[in-house]
Amino acid sequence: MGHDLLAIVPELMLVATGVVIMLIDPLLPTDGRRGLSWLGIFACITAALSTWLASGEEFTAFNNSIALDKYSVFFKILLIVVAAMAMLLSEKHLMLKKRLLGDYYALILFTTVGMIIMAESIDLITFFVGLELMALSTYLLAGFFRYEERSIEAALKYFLGGAFASNFLLFGMALLYGLAGSTNFKEIGDVVKLGPVPSGPLAIAVVLVLAGFAFKVSAVPFHNWAPDVYQGSPTPAAAFLSVGPKIAGFAAILKFFTMILGSQHDTWVPLMIALSIATMLVGSTMALLQRDLKRMLAFSSIGHVGYLLLAVVATGQSGRTLGMASILFYLAAYAFMNMGAFGILVFLENNRRGFKDSLDDMTGIGRRYPWAAALMALFMLSLTGVPPTAGFVAKFYLFSAVVNSGFAWLAVTGALFSLVSAFFYLRVIVYMYMREPEGEPGLALEGKSWDLNLGLGVAAAGVLLLGVLPSPILTSAQDAVVKLLGN
Amino acid sequence: MYDFQEQIGFPILTALTFLPALGGLAILLMRGRPNLYKGVALAVTGVNFLLSLVMIGWFDRYSADMQFVEKVPWIESLGISYHMGVDGISVLLIMLTALLSLIIIPASWNYIKERELQFFAAFLFLETGMIGVFCARDLFLFYVFWEVMLIPMYFIIGVWGGPRRIYAAIKFFLFTFAGSLLMLVAIVAIAYLARANEFAAPVFDMDLLEQSVFSYQVQLLAFLAFFIAFAVKVPMWPLHTWLPDAHVEAPTAGSVILAGVMLKVGGYGMLRLCIPLFPDAVVVVAPWILVFSLIAIVYGALVSLVQKDLKKLVAYSSVSHMGFVTAGIFALNIVGIEGGIMVMFSHGLLTGALFLMVGFLYERLHTREIADMGGLAGPFPVMAGFLLFFTLASLGLPGLSGFVGEFLSLVGLFTYSKAMAAVASLGIILAAAYLLWMFQRVMFTGLRDEKWYKVPDYSLREIVSLAPLGFLAIWAGVYPNTFLQLIEPPATRLSEKMAPYMAEGGSAVERIFASLGGLF
Repeated sequence: MGHDLLAIVPELMLVATGVVIMLIDPLLPTDGRRGLSWLGIFACITAALSTWLASGEEFTAFNNSIALDKYSVFFKILLIVVAAMAMLLSEKHLMLKKRLLGDYYALILFTTVGMIIMAESIDLITFFVGLELMALSTYLLAGFFRYEERSIEAALKYFLGGAFASNFLLFGMALLYGLAGSTNFKEIGDVVKLGPVPSGPLAIAVVLVLAGFAFKVSAVPFHNWAPDVYQGSPTPAAAFLSVGPKIAGFAAILKFFTMILGSQHDTWVPLMIALSIATMLVGSTMALLQRDLKRMLAFSSIGHVGYLLLAVVATGQSGRTLGMASILFYLAAYAFMNMGAFGILVFLENNRRGFKDSLDDMTGIGRRYPWAAALMALFMLSLTGVPPTAGFVAKFYLFSAVVNSGFAWLAVTGALFSLVSAFFYLRVIVYMYMREPEGEPGLALEGKSWDLNLGLGVAAAGVLLLGVLPSPILTSAQDAVVKLLGN
Repeated sequence: MYDFQEQIGFPILTALTFLPALGGLAILLMRGRPNLYKGVALAVTGVNFLLSLVMIGWFDRYSADMQFVEKVPWIESLGISYHMGVDGISVLLIMLTALLSLIIIPASWNYIKERELQFFAAFLFLETGMIGVFCARDLFLFYVFWEVMLIPMYFIIGVWGGPRRIYAAIKFFLFTFAGSLLMLVAIVAIAYLARANEFAAPVFDMDLLEQSVFSYQVQLLAFLAFFIAFAVKVPMWPLHTWLPDAHVEAPTAGSVILAGVMLKVGGYGMLRLCIPLFPDAVVVVAPWILVFSLIAIVYGALVSLVQKDLKKLVAYSSVSHMGFVTAGIFALNIVGIEGGIMVMFSHGLLTGALFLMVGFLYERLHTREIADMGGLAGPFPVMAGFLLFFTLASLGLPGLSGFVGEFLSLVGLFTYSKAMAAVASLGIILAAAYLLWMFQRVMFTGLRDEKWYKVPDYSLREIVSLAPLGFLAIWAGVYPNTFLQLIEPPATRLSEKMAPYMAEGGSAVERIFASLGGLF
């Protein structure tokens, strides 16, 4: 038992901090709550450090329901970093909106714990508990500005869709349990591999599981919630929602489709290819039509999910390590650049009166806020996939995996969609630098915040570091998946 | 292979490449001190030009091997290294790049009125990208520099350009990026195919890739992907449509670099990658490329003939001149290849100069319409002299640089096919027509407005900007050996590589039809 608890020390730290924040929050005056984010960030730092320090040992805990290996360490640290960045982006924004409540940070911490459990679980039940912990907390985050209609609408949409998706997933998992008589990933995987398994129910299970995951990571045709939710949620929460659940979702997708269904690769690959192309197509073409930047980023994130699904296709027999490692690296790069892009929107909302996240509001930003504009340009170029940024190395690595597994034509398709995406990312740069603002510039607000600047700095540093010196993360991504495949 | 340690003792290629970027970063921190950052930009590009001369001084011009080689592992798990090295072709183009980057600084000293700081910084970053492309010996590194070059130019056109700058900038970016993405997939594909076994790291090192043999199918597809990326840059008909827009909208300095260096990157890529890596495919496709080159030569010249805008005229003449580059290179013999490279060098000098002069003219007249000019030789005698010189050089007057390159590439093409050479020589006749007619309409025929007598002629700054280009144009025209010596060893190596693949002669039409068999 002590052994089991030792395995989840970082999670316990995060949960305990969340509870403490909720308990002391009502006792503090409004001004005093400003320190709460730092309490959360401190918890994140210690949790990440303890994960890092314990990463040498590999074992399973709680009766084989969670696995502590390099794979889960990679995701744990990535998710904790994302949570810390989200808290850095949030504080000032909440204060300006007069919703600076400790609950917000507690919810981010609980979401993070849910996501971590999703990434480290190797058991259907545990996985589902993690998923629901994450999902319920994110619904609340989306609706955190409960005096704004859009925020409530976002929460409701997210909740209804999410509940359906969870059910799909649950049905699929029930079928898998029925077929294999076990809830353990590896045992189900063995049964599926060695058979005999009736192919009909198995196919239904695959489709149901895939549908559930497709919703969680906002893949077509289950993507429609994303633009509304990102637009309606508080912007810093949208930053977190557009990154965290996708990372956790892909951590789980990879485990499902390699550990459990790896032997059925040929059966689900056509489905995955179709899903991926549809996702890239809808993501990039719809993003072209958006004038609202939060919606544009939502559709662009759908496009990125399309690329990631492309790499899931590449986890077949030849070059599995490469395919999986490329997903891990892509997620890390995506985390920094997408958080950064949303972070700039938070910055502008904080600093500019009447900033409504539309493209037109971006005119003249290049002059008025040179640093914010430069960082936004960096994040946009990274999302496009231009060197020397993280987005380029990620795309390069991902296309390598796809080409290497024999799907060169899919890589060409992906390349064409990134050409389309160049258009809408560059348009942001055009508005910031190349158009002259019409009329008076919006008045400045007292929005200076060192937390936010630090968060943006971390994102920018991540984008550049992964772009110029990607070796350490590439190596740890490769190490992370080798063990998983060995199972 | 010459290691930089033994050859010169310090990593000169890294210095050449990254010194401008460091200067650019420094400039970004000098807000509000215009003279300081202009001075820094001048100093950095000046030092870089001197460095390029030092490089030529220490360069062994009798060797076709890579020199000043630097190699450090970069992303080891993917077999990517920071591998730099130059041969004669790169050295020549690096010198050209450094020279033009230096010249545009004084040339835009007063021309750019707003956001000057970012303007000069952008040009320094651009120089890093361009020199990096000419030095890279690793495909990944090559691609990185290739794209790094794109971003500053996108900003230069989009921020400091003319009225339709946004359209031009986006068109420029999307055309180039479309080509690049296809090239990226091809790079990845050949890197993984060149592996020794399934578990080895992919091969991005150009030295190793040149020794790999790919199947014909792979060669053909990869060749096309690379070639399209380069053909967009050159630009080759029918992928040239971004060029007139980009040139007309770009500020003068942007046009100079665009025409002087960035078009050459396309030709350089063909020489450096297309021919050595995919010889089987090259032989099959070459007749078609020659046909496209001929179309570019004649079409570019004809379109130049009818231009009303001076800058557009020079832009379309680039399409025609760059046709001689691809025609020379894909004649696939040593004379043609040397000719193609010489045309690139000379076109860089001359078109750079012509764009500068169009810019200087615009600063005085605030128009580029040829119809608004006329009789300008009266008020601006010095300008008329310079324009005459560069016009004559550009139309291929013997004794100046334009003649040498075009003559050699025509000889190369003649060896390949007499009929093609005949068509290409039309381009030279047409060049004389559109350039001389342009000169006549701008400088002679009655003066439109007496007020232009009040506008000063070229200042010392402008003369100093143009003089080095004119000096090199004379040097390369009178004693081309200095430059031919540099490019001869690598050109020999390329033609020797291609020699075994070359089929027996035959008429142009026969060759074209024969190649159809190879394509399908």
